[in-house]
Order: sequence, then structure tokens, then C-alpha cells
Amino acid sequence: MGTQIPNVDDTRELLKKNQIGIVGIGETEQGKIPGKSSFDFLSHASKLAIEDAGILKSDVDGIITAFSLVEETFMHCTTFADYIGINPKYFESIAIGGATAVWMTAAAAMAINSGQAEVVLCARGDNTLSGISSAGMIALIREMCHGEFEYPFGLTTPGGYALLAQRYLYETKGKREHLHSVAVTMRQHAKLKENAMNKDDLSLDDILNTRLLASPLTKYDCSIVTDGGAAFIVTTKAKAKELGIKRDPVYLHGMGQGFSHQYLTSCADLNQIYGAIETSGEKAFKTAGMTNQNVDVTFLYDCFTITTLLELEGLGIVPRGHAGAAALEGRLHKDADIPLNTHGGLLSQAHLGAMHHVVEAVLQLRGEAGERQVKSPSTALVHGNGGIVSAHSTILLGNEPLS
Amino acid sequence: MSEEKIEYQKPLPDFRPETKPFWDGTKQHKLLLPKCKETGKVFFYPRAISPFPESVNRDFEWVESTGKGKVWTYSVHYMGPTRAYKGEVYVVALIELHDGVKMMSNIVECDPESVTIGMEVEVVFEDATEEVTFAKFKPVK
Repeated sequence: MGTQIPNVDDTRELLKKNQIGIVGIGETEQGKIPGKSSFDFLSHASKLAIEDAGILKSDVDGIITAFSLVEETFMHCTTFADYIGINPKYFESIAIGGATAVWMTAAAAMAINSGQAEVVLCARGDNTLSGISSAGMIALIREMCHGEFEYPFGLTTPGGYALLAQRYLYETKGKREHLHSVAVTMRQHAKLKENAMNKDDLSLDDILNTRLLASPLTKYDCSIVTDGGAAFIVTTKAKAKELGIKRDPVYLHGMGQGFSHQYLTSCADLNQIYGAIETSGEKAFKTAGMTNQNVDVTFLYDCFTITTLLELEGLGIVPRGHAGAAALEGRLHKDADIPLNTHGGLLSQAHLGAMHHVVEAVLQLRGEAGERQVKSPSTALVHGNGGIVSAHSTILLGNEPLS
Repeated sequence: MSEEKIEYQKPLPDFRPETKPFWDGTKQHKLLLPKCKETGKVFFYPRAISPFPESVNRDFEWVESTGKGKVWTYSVHYMGPTRAYKGEVYVVALIELHDGVKMMSNIVECDPESVTIGMEVEVVFEDATEEVTFAKFKPVK
């Protein structure tokens, strides 16, 4: 069938044949950790992932990194390869904002499927809090919005998401509590995660009684800013066996991307955003041969509370307009029916894109999530979004090889 | 010599050369929109290629907008991106012009907390510097 155009069925066959999965994870401490560079965090997280896999640094032959918000580099992946002392056969820097970490997994699989590498280290680390600060992140919008037709009107990073949150509440006849509930649940989860930065009690009333930053959002609706690193290693089951890795990999079952807009000016309506999320998820679900109702534990990009609601609905995990009520009813709690971001997410644990979402998905599927463990999950979904709910990527993971 | 004006401290547009007709228009207090000569449709933001899926046309004419539209969404900002906004409460909004395009701007000349989605607004021009005039919007009375 040499003339057939490749599609998701071919990807599925490759993933089945090669049994690609994550075999090592690492995360450093997270929070305010001054006096360390982004490359310090990157290499520390990589060391932990290499040790978790039980392999040698020299076994790694592929490197995928992202970018640093603090230390700008022209060629991030190879700068890091040089720094850590790895001579990779495959290297790539992915810079699609919050969609990056999720897509690292997919890119590693594509590199392995095409014979470019066998053992791919995916790593990200940054000293964002010490290097830029929260105020710097509020102004980071400058990098995401239109420098000519949006930024001069005083848009902030929370403000960009607030514009969509306001419209969401209008269209769904929702209330602020729907947004804030996501933050409350994330805080409950963060309390159970050793390296989470924010563990203080947080109630719905606390949020309702705090001042607005950009209506309808308060500071509690915004992700935290942290220093830290996280990494994971992707390889095949056969290679893992050859390297003597004892633990079973957590397998990649599917992946997809979807794009809505870069600038809010170009966003016609919420349907455009839902469509991009759906496209991303649908490709992943089709590859995995499963539906949005088979996911046992869900990891969504919670850079702001609103993104979580849009993603739950765009992925079809809850019907359109119902995610806010689901959050308010506590259904996103680890013990409820849609366990979400059991590590506390970007809202309370740490902000390193979706790196920790991937790491926690692996811990959950290994059954090593301790107090946060969801009851025997076999599949996990991880979704990342870059820009202002602009660029989406989804992966599906399972504790058994794709069959 | 003209009176010395307080220097404008807020962010100014990062111009791309291809948008010059737009800014020349606002300077004359006209809201001009680029119109694709192939599809006959107006679009926003201005750029050097037609954004419509069916077209790679690079020829445009500039047509004057009605300057009227409604608020598609908004956010009252209680904290701005730079020090120049300190103490200011202002509204950032996406306005759906009756011409069929969306623009980001500020809703001015009203209580920020009185803005609502669907509110009818019209353009007002704010001269920020010698070079830059912004198209902003105020509620239609």
C-alpha cells in the first residue's frame, strides 16, 4: 500500500509495533530557589530522570528541550546537550508555550519511529521566579499578544485570559465561583504533593473576598511562578529491556495538535477555541482507539482557571457549558469522577509548562502517586495549551502497551 | 514653540512597515480597515497578505470603517503591564465592529465597571504622541 497517504492508523501501528513509552521521570524541588540558573535546574532534573530509569547518561541519544524565559539561547537543545555532556543523534527545541511539554513526548515518539534516536531525554527547567518575578510574568503578555494592535491597550497576561473568561461566563450563564472552584481543587491536591509551592488553605470565600486583578479573575485564578526543573525519558519497550530497565514503561497511546489563533483579535468566537481543542484531542483519541469517556485521570493546562473549563468542554469530557458546574460540585477532585491535575497543577504546585502534568501522569499510571493516587487508573490524558488558549497538544498514556 | 507636553509613558505600537496606512488614518482621526482586493472582504489586523483561507493576495485598499460596533468581551484591568498604569483602572475589550472584524482597544469615557458584553460603542481618537493616535471606543449615548 505504498501509495496510501499516512494517517493516524499508521501512527497507531507504529506505536503498537515499537511500544514507545516513558521509562524515567525526574522533578527537582519547586518554588523560590534563588541562586540557580535555568541550566542548573535542567541538568538536575535530567540526572533524576536518568537515575529513575536506571540508565547511563551515555545511553541517551536524543535530546528535546524547550526554551528559557530567563536565559535566552539561540539553539536551546544543543546548548543543553553541550552543558550536560551528551552527544545526541537527534535534537530539537520545542517552543510552543504551554503545549511544549506534551508535544515533547509526541516528538520523541516520532523521532524514535523514524529511526533517528532510541532513548530521548525531554527536559525543561527555568529560574522563572527568581529570574523574572511574578510582575514580569504579568507583562509576559508582550510575547504572546500583538505588539502593534493589542499590547498598547494595556493588556496583561491575566487580562488576555480574563477576556475569554468573561465571554465564557456570559455564554454559559456562569458565575465567578465556577472559575474559582478549579483553584480550590488544585490547592487541595497540592497539599498532597511534596514539592508543591502553595499549600496554604484556600476556600471559595477566600477567592471571592480578594480583589480582582483583571475581571473576572483574581490572583488565585492565575498560575503561580516558580523555579525548578522536570524531565522524562522516552524509549521503546525493547530498548528498555536491552538497557536493563526494570520498571514497565508508561506507554504512549496517541497524540494530536490543534490551532485556534495567536492573537485574540483573530479569535472569531469560543467555538474556534473549542474546535482547536477538539481537533487536538480527537487525533489522540483516534490514534489510541479510545473515546473521551475512557480516560481515568486527566491533566489539563491550568495556567488560568478558565483554560481548564474550556479544555474539559473542548475535549468532550463534559458537555459544553457544564465544566464550571462540574468544578463547583467538586467533580475535579482526585476522589471524584473526573480526577484532574492530582499534583496541584500550575495553579498551586509549580509552573513549568505541562512538564509536571506528564510526570504526574506517569506516577499515577505506575501507581506511585502516594496519597494522591487515583484508584487503579489504566489511561491518562495530558493536554497542554500555548498562547492564550491558542496552540493545543494532547497525548494519551496507558500502563499497558497499545493493543 | 508649542507647549511642552508630558511624555507618553505607556507602550507604543511596535510598527511593521506594512501597517502605515492604518496609522496614517488614525492620525487623521479616520478608522481605516484593509480590504482584500481578491475576496472583497475587510480584515483586521493589517498585514502584508490576505488572511482568508482562499487567498494569497497582497493587494489591498483601505476603506473607512463605520467606527461603530459592540463589545464582544472585556476585562476591567486593576493592574497594568507597566509602571505607567499604576493606580489606573481601565477596560481592555474586544470590539466587534459592524464592518465584521474584531479589534482590541479600550472602552473610555465611562465608568469602567459599567461596561457590559453587547454594549454599543463608537470610535474616539486619542492622540498619544506626534506619531501615534489610538482608535478607542466609548459607549453610544
